[in-house]
Parts: sequence; C-alpha cells; structure tokens
Amino acid sequence: MYAVIALIVGVVAGLLVHPTVPEWLAPYLPIAVIAALDAVFGGLRAKLDDIFDAKVFVVSFVANVLVAAFIVFLGDQLGVGTQLSTAVVVVLGIRIFGNAAAIRRHIFKA
Amino acid sequence: MSPPQSPPPASPPPASPPAGSPTRNPIAPLLESLNRDHLDPGYAEAAARKRAAAAGGPAPGPGRRPSRRLVLVVVGCVVAGGVLGVAASRTESNQTRAENTRMALREDIDRAQERQSAMESAATDLAEQLRASQAAAGAAGPVAEVTQLENQGQLTPVTGPGLRLVLNQPPAGQGQTNAVILDRDLQLLVNDLWAAGAEAISIGGVRLNTRSAIRQAGGAILVDNRPVFWPLTVEAIGNSSAMQVKFISSPSSGRFSSFAQLYGIEFDVSAQTDLRLPGGTAPEQRLAQPLSTPPTPTG
Repeated sequence: MYAVIALIVGVVAGLLVHPTVPEWLAPYLPIAVIAALDAVFGGLRAKLDDIFDAKVFVVSFVANVLVAAFIVFLGDQLGVGTQLSTAVVVVLGIRIFGNAAAIRRHIFKA
Repeated sequence: MSPPQSPPPASPPPASPPAGSPTRNPIAPLLESLNRDHLDPGYAEAAARKRAAAAGGPAPGPGRRPSRRLVLVVVGCVVAGGVLGVAASRTESNQTRAENTRMALREDIDRAQERQSAMESAATDLAEQLRASQAAAGAAGPVAEVTQLENQGQLTPVTGPGLRLVLNQPPAGQGQTNAVILDRDLQLLVNDLWAAGAEAISIGGVRLNTRSAIRQAGGAILVDNRPVFWPLTVEAIGNSSAMQVKFISSPSSGRFSSFAQLYGIEFDVSAQTDLRLPGGTAPEQRLAQPLSTPPTPTG
C-alpha cells in the first residue's frame, strides 16, 4: 500500500519538478526506466508470492540500474553501445514480461 | 514457469543423467534460465533465510525491524517512480523541442521562397527598366532584336488568349487512396499542349522555358526545381479554339478525362481570352560560348 503511494508520489514528483537531466546522463535514462520497471514488477510478484524482502528489492534495483548503465557506458566507449543497450533491454524486458505474466496468473488465476 | 524457490515436486534431475546416455546439449542453459528465472533469485534466498531463522528461534536479530523495511521500500519506490516520471517529462519536452525546430525550419523555407520570388520580380522589373533606358538611349534596333530573342526564349512576360487547365489530386479518403497524379502525367499533358500549338505555358505560375523540367519529389511536383501546389493551374497561350480542338483529341486529354472518371481527380479545361504569363528564368550557361561576338556589347 505504502509502496504504491510512494510510486505514485515519485512519478508525480518527476513529472512536476521537471528536472533537467544532464546530457551525459541522458543515454542511461531509458536503461534506468527499464530497470525500474523490472524492479517494480519483480517486487510486486515477490509480494504476491509472499517472499518479498525490502532489502533485496532496493539492492537489486540499485544494482541493476548501475550494472545496466555501466554496460551501456562500456558499450559506448567500445562503439557497440546500441547493441549492448539492446541486450540489456531484451534481458530485462523478458523478465518484466515473465513477472507480469506471473502477477496476472496470481490475480486472475488464469 | 514456476518460481524457482517453490519446492520442486517433480523436477527433472538436470545434473545427473541416466548412466550410459550422455546429455546431448538439451537446451542452452542461458536461454533456459532466461525463460524460467524471471524473479530475482535474491527473493528466494531471503525467504529461505527467513524461514531458517524462524525455524531456528523466535527472536532472530534486532536489525530486521518492520519500520526500517518500510522505509527501504518507500524510498525504493519513490526513486523508481521518480525515474519513470523524469523519463516521461523528458520525452515530452524532447517532442516539443523537435516540433519547434521543424516549425522554425519550415518558416525559414517559406521566408527564403518569398525572398526568391521577390528578387525574381525585382530582376524582371530591372530588366524592364534597362530595356526602356536602352530604347531611350537610341539603341532601338539591337534592343528590339534582343527583346525578340528573349521573347522566343520564353523569358519575357506575355499575354494573350489561350487555355486554362485546372488539375487537382483526388480527394483523400475515397477508396482509391493511392491514386495520385504523377510528374509523368503532367509531362505528357504539357507535351500535348505544345503539340496543339501552345506558344507559352506556365504551370502553377512557373513559366516553362526551353529546358524546364517537371519532376516529382515525394508528394510535391517541382517545375524547374520550384515546388508548385495543388490544385495546379496550367495556362497555355495560343489560338484557343484551334488549340482546344487539337488538345481534346490528344492522348493526354483522354488520359486525364479517364482519370477524372475513374479516380475522381479534378480536370477542367476552359478557353480564356486574356491570359497573363510571367517571364521565365534563363537557363544558365556555364561553358557554352557564342561563336561570334554580338554586335552590341552587353549593357
């Protein structure tokens, strides 16, 4: 419950405050979005599976964002940034989709 | 797709194959795990730890207070939501920025085109003045010859009777969505107008000279590299009645009439008594030199 409220507060804050994202950070924003979605869906599913753990949630979110950003940064330096971003998006996207499917099965039993 | 932490009821033993039969690379483990392990394994481990702690004793540790966990969750969710919100607002602002840039570019193009046409009319006026002053200075004979040559080269504005053709693309959203008038059709039309005896032709206000090109760039028609806009008005000066008879029996007239019936394009031919056509621009000659020097030096 608090988590949902906190999520909404974060979204509204991000929309209202209109922070200027520095240019060097801009390429990593999409990756951060995907990682955030992955963390949110994973946490929700874990909650429904009754194995939610706050520490795992926060640590996995932060670590995923950092690792994904690092991979993309490394790819940019090596000239394969777009390919590595694709890899990150594919892996996290499959996880998001699988978790969403599990949540769906939990809620609708179908 | 069962969560990996659930107790395996009948999980196949992956590590120990039946004796004698070597595993023949069943499924690539990476793809297998991509397909199965959607949840972070940390959750399962944490749950197992908790279970073990609960089994071990009722008071595990002081560090696992619920308030602290709640704070962690709330902070994590605020950060995650903030990332989403920032991304959304940034996408929005990028969109408006791109739109602004496009509008500014279009305005620039419009302004440049306006300037071009203004300069062209200024050039025509100046040429007129030049001719008048040349005539006043007494160079009447050669100047008359120059005027005649310019007229033959379709460079001077002309007036006279002739035909006016109005063409337009079929209205959008009428079944035949991919029916469009192409540059080819216009070229045929203009050729038939010349053949019917036209002495001067303009398309959409652009006068055709001896080297004019009618081409297409995307959806726009370019006449001498200048875009003309639908509906197109094609004006041809000539003996209007004779020209009309000849033109009506020409292939391109039949072509456009059938287009009008089949696809609903607009195609109107009308005889006019007084058409005014602008002067054309002279084709640039960079390398060609005249054989003999003209009798009067350029003035």
